[in-house]
Amino acid sequence: MKKILILIPFFYILTLFQTSFLIHFNVFLKGGFWGYALNPILIAVILITVLEKPEKNSGIFLGVCGGFFLDIFSENFIGFHILILLGLSFFIKFILRKYVRTPIIRPA
Amino acid sequence: MRYNKTMKLSPRVKIGLIIVLLIVLFIIVNLTSFSKEVKNFFYLISSPIQKTLWRAGDNLSDFFEAISEIEKLKKENEKLLLKNQALTAENARLKELKKENEVLREALEIGLEKEFKLLLAEVTGKDISQDALLINKGSKDGILKDFPVITRQKALIGRCGEVYENFSKVILISSKESSFDAKISDSDIQGLVKGKGNLKIFLDLVPKEKEINEGAIIVTTALGGIFPEGLLVGEIKKVFKSDIQPWQEAEIKPAFDIKELETLFVITNF
Repeated sequence: MKKILILIPFFYILTLFQTSFLIHFNVFLKGGFWGYALNPILIAVILITVLEKPEKNSGIFLGVCGGFFLDIFSENFIGFHILILLGLSFFIKFILRKYVRTPIIRPA
Repeated sequence: MRYNKTMKLSPRVKIGLIIVLLIVLFIIVNLTSFSKEVKNFFYLISSPIQKTLWRAGDNLSDFFEAISEIEKLKKENEKLLLKNQALTAENARLKELKKENEVLREALEIGLEKEFKLLLAEVTGKDISQDALLINKGSKDGILKDFPVITRQKALIGRCGEVYENFSKVILISSKESSFDAKISDSDIQGLVKGKGNLKIFLDLVPKEKEINEGAIIVTTALGGIFPEGLLVGEIKKVFKSDIQPWQEAEIKPAFDIKELETLFVITNF
């Protein structure tokens, strides 16, 4: 919970950075993935979801937060990015929980 | 126990329920003015940071764009320089043609072409110490030794000395090698025009009893057959008389200005 509370303002700043700063760099728009600009929120959500323990749900909550901020600062309706990031987090979690086994090294 | 089992929902149902609830929430939020109020609130608190980030991004992207376009600009610059050079060359050529056209027009106006067969030549070199010029027409253009050379104003310059294939050397009338018969215009006073070097010309062998006025115009005569009749030589500058000598001498101011000579006419037939 503490981690989520710290990461929410970070996501807010990251959204502002994405929508006000990175938007100027056409290089990402031209050569970017499907014509989208670099999306650090998406990357952050994917990384948090992948790297946290499979039983934790921080990635899903942060996906909702990141999506909400992206919706606020974009022309889409509220919910567009929330649903995308939420779906993505669920999907990653599902894959990790069902098909990936991470080796845990316990201290002797 | 049975009640608890029925109330405990499976994870899939939970997720489905959450998604449905979220969708309903989004529909409600977007259909009402609530979304506008939320967006407005966030815009209000974020605008100072957004402005700063926007400016920074703008400046940085301009900087990177300039770097990425350096190569393009370099190529464009080279292309424009080449174009500029081509246009400058064309402009110079057109100016030359215009000048040539003006010279020919002037020559036509004073009727030079009716009197003589002319060949237009350009001065490519000047040797004032030797009283000689180099023109860009030679034997290939039909020039022969001793052909007279005049200006467009019908002023005598000299005659062709050495003739090369593409160039000719013009010996000025002020050269020490030059001497020919001339007379004072509108009178019967005749004499011999001699070059003394350094652009100085003298009218010599004029009988002492003849009155020569300063400023009188000297023109060529057909005597000797070197030059056609009536070409302007210059005007009397100073008269020298001596009691001892039977002849009088006069300094002539040439009708041409060596510094301004650019285009000349070679008389190929007279």
